[in-house]
Amino acid sequence: MTGVSQGRDAAQVHGGIATRGPLPVSLIDPTQSALERAIQGASMRQQLLAGNLANVNTPGYGRRDVDFHGALREAMQTGDPTRAAFVATTETASVSADGNGIDLDREAAELAKNALDQQALVTVARARVDMMVTAITGQG
Amino acid sequence: MTGIFGALDVSASALTASRTQMSVTAENLANAQTTRTAEGGPYRRKSVVLESAEVGARFGDALDGAMRRGGIEPEGVQVGGIVEHDAPPRLVHDPGHPDANADGYVEMPAVDSVTEMVDLIAASRAYEANVTAMQTAKQMFTRSLDLLR
Repeated sequence: MTGVSQGRDAAQVHGGIATRGPLPVSLIDPTQSALERAIQGASMRQQLLAGNLANVNTPGYGRRDVDFHGALREAMQTGDPTRAAFVATTETASVSADGNGIDLDREAAELAKNALDQQALVTVARARVDMMVTAITGQG
Repeated sequence: MTGIFGALDVSASALTASRTQMSVTAENLANAQTTRTAEGGPYRRKSVVLESAEVGARFGDALDGAMRRGGIEPEGVQVGGIVEHDAPPRLVHDPGHPDANADGYVEMPAVDSVTEMVDLIAASRAYEANVTAMQTAKQMFTRSLDLLR
């Protein structure tokens, strides 16, 4: 929580209002928003990877993917992770004679990686929510 | 939320397509010796033409379209059509056969069982892969729901 890490016990001006004591902790901080957006990104990626697997035998189909981590990284630099724009890209390279660009093994691996990625994101988001609950209720 | 359901729809479209492919392959194998058809002449080998297609638009899509930044249209797959091959029939010398011509040759379907088996395995592998993708999507959805517990 950024509010906690920045909290100082001196008089400060926050949002135009002079406050004494630590800065107010916002419930949904940028990190939590970023985690939420990343989970959305993982589910978009899951859709595209599912589409790739669905078209493993479709002639001329180009592989589609989304670099949601990259988009999120850029958005984080501007300070607003919710603005991260996830854009699907289509590769034109083909791996078979009919112009299909899907390698079944690669897709299976990417699918597994994306699921683990999402699991990690959800676990961290969950842990942060639990910490907040502990802080609010005073019990874990 | 439509995200994961979209992934399930995409995988489901692929299961349908693979199943159609398997049915057509089974039909080819079943009719490998068929010399009489409704159109006349021996059975002609069929195959499935697959094409990518957007999965069915649903109620959630309009809302989703309004809310998301960076649009993603996942592409499923559909059977574009079932085509009959016009490869010339195989001629088999069998003068006793009722469909034999004057020279004793019977026109047999141009179905190669090895090719059919290869197609069958490809369709079956694609089916398995898509079932796995569906299970993964389901797990991801369940995990996201865990955030609420």
